[in-house]
Amino acid sequence: MTYLLGILQTIGVHTLLGLSAYLLLLTGQLSLAQVGFFAIGAYVSGILTVIFSWNIFAALALGSLMAGFFAFLVGFPALRVKGLMLVVATISFSEIVRLFFFNLSWRVNVNGVEVGPDSTQGFREIRYFAANGWEQIHIVGLIWFVVMVVMLALWWLDQVRAGAVLRAVGTDELAAQSSGINLTMVKVAAMTGGGVIAGIGGGLFAHSTTYVDHHTFVILLATFAVSYPIIGGLRSVIGTLLAVIFIQGFIIEGLRFMGDYRNLIFGLLIILVMNMRPQGLLDGHLVADIRKLLAKLTKGGKADA
Amino acid sequence: MNFDHIDIIQSLIDGVLFGSIYALIGLGFTLIFGAMHKLNLAYAASSIAGAYSGLMSLTIFGLPPLMAFIIGPIMSGVIGLILYFACFRFMPRGNHLAPLMASIGALFFIDELIIHETSGSPMSFPAILPDAYFFLGEFGIRGDLLLVMGFSFILMAIVMLLLYRTKLGLGTRATSQQPIAALLCGIPIHRTNSATFILAGVLGGFAGCLLAASVGVLSPLLTLPLTVKGLIVTVIGGLGSIRGAIVAGFAVGAAESIFLLVRGVNERDIYVFLLLFLFLVLRPNGLFGTTINRD
Amino acid sequence: MLEVRNLVKHFGGVRAVDGLDFKIQQGEVFGLIGPNGSGKSTTVNLVCGVFAPTDGEILLDGIDLGAIAPHNRVDAGVARTFQNIRLFSELTVWQNLWVAWRDQPGQEQGWVSNWFGRSPARRQEIQKLLEFSGLGDKADHLAGNLAFGEQRRLELARAMASKPKLILLDEPAAGMNSAEIKDLCQRVLAMKEMGMTVLLVEHVMELVMNVTDRITVLNFGKPIAQGTPIEIQNNKLVQEAYFGSAENAHGGVS
Repeated sequence: MTYLLGILQTIGVHTLLGLSAYLLLLTGQLSLAQVGFFAIGAYVSGILTVIFSWNIFAALALGSLMAGFFAFLVGFPALRVKGLMLVVATISFSEIVRLFFFNLSWRVNVNGVEVGPDSTQGFREIRYFAANGWEQIHIVGLIWFVVMVVMLALWWLDQVRAGAVLRAVGTDELAAQSSGINLTMVKVAAMTGGGVIAGIGGGLFAHSTTYVDHHTFVILLATFAVSYPIIGGLRSVIGTLLAVIFIQGFIIEGLRFMGDYRNLIFGLLIILVMNMRPQGLLDGHLVADIRKLLAKLTKGGKADA
Repeated sequence: MNFDHIDIIQSLIDGVLFGSIYALIGLGFTLIFGAMHKLNLAYAASSIAGAYSGLMSLTIFGLPPLMAFIIGPIMSGVIGLILYFACFRFMPRGNHLAPLMASIGALFFIDELIIHETSGSPMSFPAILPDAYFFLGEFGIRGDLLLVMGFSFILMAIVMLLLYRTKLGLGTRATSQQPIAALLCGIPIHRTNSATFILAGVLGGFAGCLLAASVGVLSPLLTLPLTVKGLIVTVIGGLGSIRGAIVAGFAVGAAESIFLLVRGVNERDIYVFLLLFLFLVLRPNGLFGTTINRD
Repeated sequence: MLEVRNLVKHFGGVRAVDGLDFKIQQGEVFGLIGPNGSGKSTTVNLVCGVFAPTDGEILLDGIDLGAIAPHNRVDAGVARTFQNIRLFSELTVWQNLWVAWRDQPGQEQGWVSNWFGRSPARRQEIQKLLEFSGLGDKADHLAGNLAFGEQRRLELARAMASKPKLILLDEPAAGMNSAEIKDLCQRVLAMKEMGMTVLLVEHVMELVMNVTDRITVLNFGKPIAQGTPIEIQNNKLVQEAYFGSAENAHGGVS
């Protein structure tokens, strides 16, 4: 049971990472900055609960807002560039964040124990959940509650004009601009939203694993973050969730028996999937077909707008 | 932290010499990006993998150390070709995300393969002229780094020659600007792109071997930093600009060295990245990038 | 309504537009024609803000457009279609209009409502525009799946969706068959009736001669003639620009 809950925990947190990248990919931006926002959320909320004894919800909220704030700041310079340059800019940001926390030492004596981030030793003892009587199932519940809320919010976005505008920017920037859309505002908004989502993911991650260090927040994690929406397909949020389950659940855990060969298979699998379905698992046609099927099954009315 | 102008200049010299390796990697990224407007994130990894093959062939076939510098680049070229077919050849032309993702998959694969075959421990790489050390006034210059730089210049010259004086190079440049028109003109784009990948691969293989020779060891930990540095160089140089990649390589090498001197190894990279950010804000087209808006 | 003064645009050594002057009256359909490469599309791009002019001014109702960012020019009342259709192919027909939609001045919705709301009044208006464009029953189709003629109509509808004062049509008839061109003539005239001012860049003479009130002819970035359709048809300079001079008209291919 603990094992299963552990997997659910991982899948939940990774889904938040993936959703954060998804929002940006809608606007056509491939961002590897999500792991940076993730780290900010993790450290900020961790410091708040550990050093300042904040309540977990307040800490998570402020952590994600801080991540969002930095996303907003990064957004402006980063969004003046596109494509490869954006990839590099966002990699740089994430590395700056990682190295910053690598060097951060903020040790405080709380109730006789030395706690706080300890530069190269990492940030241990993020024990809010244990100290307040949360059991693993409660933690998993919280994580998935947040995941559901975020997924619902992103799904809802597609039902209103904002979602169409985001996708329009991702499809054709010139046409979007000529239709009156302020590209910078849209992209920065998406970046900020993505930052908030990654931030709360980071906070949940830090508290559920009780220990983070700079090894966690490497660019590799950022590539995972973008791989979920790319492999899952950008037509629907569910694609990202499916991709996380597929990758984390089946491949990484399921291939455990293959031991060290897991990552080899993983790499090959990605190459294979991308060659066979470059639009992702859940591409436009599949989603349209599923929608039609659902409509028939529920005999629903005409689409609202 | 006491350092004087001698330390600074020495640091600059070391940095520039080392920067030639970054220039090679940046050049490789630029070649591929310039040809296909797509990014091959597995490039640096394949360069290191090639260097590994070169190294291991020494023990397997009992060859003299110099052969590592020949087999390594050849293997990198082969790996480059395989990468082209695995990640780029069959992808729809307009789709940029899928090949990128596939190259990320290839990066995972290559990294893991290296870790597997070497059990994760670093292997020592034959050094070139390890004891050569010249003095120019008060400044010391590592002989091997000088050789590396000299060699890099030769390689860059060869690449420029290939690109600008041969039919293959012309085909590459034509394909990069207008792939469909190039196809209609009878240029075999897939063969051309394959050749570009092989060329970039060989270049990268040299870079990997030279890097390993300079630091004395080969380790799988080299791939990610080399990838990142290579990307930085490509961007600072200006996307798709050969000259830019070369100049930027030296510049980044020098900057890195100065930051190391001034702020130490833990913080050095922070400043390199901040430098990149500065560039992106002030000069998004890089040093020599063109400002052609393709839309 | 639109005044272009001494407009110049150089791309390196290429003088795409080289001293262009014209005025468009409110409610006119104004044609801009000329051989390929004469600078017509560049002019459209300049008015819309895709490029900044090397020299000269563009005034809309007296306001200098140069100071206004491209996406804000839509608010100022400018809209355009593209020569090679640029629909949001992954979005539905409905969403394509929705994205470009602006409410009637005076009936604007609040910010929240504009981005996150679903107003029935707006829904009705969008549906009306779809009906007008012959796409009434295709609201949920993906724009990329439409037939060519439908795509062109959608492109036009999307430009209309932002309630422009001035609409720039960049070769809207390219690739159309005779029936589609006739349909397009009707549409442009209907737009004129709705009170829009139209700048039409076009090659297809059937369209130009039937809907425009006045025409300017460009050649090598410079205007060589201005007048009504009849005047232009009979203008020697125009004929030379298109067909070459009489001395070169030996039975060769033209």
